[in-house]
Amino acid sequence: MASELPPSNGYAAEGDVANRQKVKEGLARMLKGGVIMDVVNAEQARIAEEAGAAAVMALERVPADIRVQGGVARMSDPKMIKEIMDTVTIPVMAKARIGHFVECQILEAIGVDYIDESEVLTPADHIHHVEKASYRVPFVCGCRNLGEALRRISEGAAMIRTKGEAGTGDVVEAVKHMRTVNAEIARAAGMSDEELRLFAKEIGAPFELLKKTAELKRLPVVNFAAGGVATPADAALMMQLGCDGVFVGSGIFKSGDAAKRAKAIVQAVTHFRDAKLLAEVSMDIGEAMVGINVEKLPEAERLAVRGW
Amino acid sequence: MTQSASPSSSGRKITVGVLALQGAFSEHVQLLRTASASLGVDQDGDHNVEWCFMEVRTAKELDMCDALIIPGGESTTMSLVAQRSGILGPLQEFVKGYCKPTWGTCAGLILLSESANRTKKGGQDLIGGLDVRVDRNHFGRQVESFESNIDIYFPAVGPQTLGTEGLNGTQGMEQKEHLQFHAIFIRAPIVQEILSNQPGIQVKDVDNPSLVVASSLLPKTEAAQLAAKGEVEVLARLPRQAGEEQGRIVAVRQGNVLGTSFHPELTMDPRIHTWWLRYVRSKAYQ
Repeated sequence: MASELPPSNGYAAEGDVANRQKVKEGLARMLKGGVIMDVVNAEQARIAEEAGAAAVMALERVPADIRVQGGVARMSDPKMIKEIMDTVTIPVMAKARIGHFVECQILEAIGVDYIDESEVLTPADHIHHVEKASYRVPFVCGCRNLGEALRRISEGAAMIRTKGEAGTGDVVEAVKHMRTVNAEIARAAGMSDEELRLFAKEIGAPFELLKKTAELKRLPVVNFAAGGVATPADAALMMQLGCDGVFVGSGIFKSGDAAKRAKAIVQAVTHFRDAKLLAEVSMDIGEAMVGINVEKLPEAERLAVRGW
Repeated sequence: MTQSASPSSSGRKITVGVLALQGAFSEHVQLLRTASASLGVDQDGDHNVEWCFMEVRTAKELDMCDALIIPGGESTTMSLVAQRSGILGPLQEFVKGYCKPTWGTCAGLILLSESANRTKKGGQDLIGGLDVRVDRNHFGRQVESFESNIDIYFPAVGPQTLGTEGLNGTQGMEQKEHLQFHAIFIRAPIVQEILSNQPGIQVKDVDNPSLVVASSLLPKTEAAQLAAKGEVEVLARLPRQAGEEQGRIVAVRQGNVLGTSFHPELTMDPRIHTWWLRYVRSKAYQ
């Protein structure tokens, strides 16, 4: 099980960047133990809010549809995002393409509460991720391993999530990514400074961040599960693996009864260790999304390999 | 998850719960541990309190608690999950029926208010306990989240204080403990209006369609009746802005209930937790 995230990462009280970092990481902490749901319009956003979502992710097409329809997936129409912001009182997140800093500027200008620099959209830059520290709005980014997580944090991400394999309804990749991060942190925790220097080089992570992670025995920011969560059991599985909360994308609105399933997943994330309750909430919630077996997915169609 | 702070003591055990339905509950538990370690012997001088801090997700767990913190998080989520987990009614009894010490931060303050505006469509369930109206997301969205140094004036509890100043000694004035605190506001609510002390539902706000009010629940025991109420005290305001007569209200207390619109759980500063644990301890010995 993951260790505790200390109340503060000890940023100085003064200094603009440090200050914003505290309130940026702070909002992520307020989302812990909650479910963030993908929604494509105001009506779905209301269903998510009524189900108890801690936040919604506004996007034009859920990952499952992006897979089917193909084409370039971009930031959503700001008008649609605004409509969702006007409809619900919970935080609203939106996705920007990897490296597309102007989409990020636009999302900041309309006042979204969090930006997901996301591999689910088609990357806009082959080499660079967005420099995130200078934005007033906080960022969440995906990772497959510790090095990737720490690179994103060093660029200014205030929250991390597993990449998983979005739009599949197959949780196996999210599990793999969380287990990989956990195993690498466990390794780092037993290392001397000399060994950590070498390990930092090996995984391409900044030494200071790696050292801090080793000391904390967990990522220094909030870490959610994402990519393939489709059932209450999937959500509780990710929580028991040490995630702080769960993103659910296609898993809700591509299922038979979205409202019921959404409620069940919210209950499962709060009571993630209570198997009896998990059994109760798993009952009679309609068809899960059909899903795609990740092993059958050609390499070129995998979203998690986007970003580095 | 139960954690005892001082296992070897022969004194009284006080169990403090942190509502763990959603939000920053782990941070509160950590600060409670730090705060309890700094608390010495109580005012009687010869008892050690054995503190027990636990996460609370069910009515059964709440039943074990002498005091409770409701953390920051999303108040709509907490309210819905509480209702579906069968703990909303027990929470109301805890706060308003048995009047046990309860502290809410941010979302917790919203839930502990008798009246709230800007709730989601269809409103949300409130626990109540503080006769105030809160304005949710008062400052706007996340880009408006901020930090500010504020002055907080707590009622004095026992001989051990945070450092007093100013008001003590003046005839007829209650002694206050003053502290300066670096407060973090995240999509924060403020107390928009102090309502009059009302046993039962807030009649002033109940017919206003833009507001939601907490359901009525009267104290269940005589001791609870005594512990309850008095009027709402303002403990802290933001620095006054141009055009304001006074700064906006960010910390209040009424009887057994404390509410802060900022997040002491996002700092390493345990002083508010320390004050509150001393208050909880003083109630446990009554």
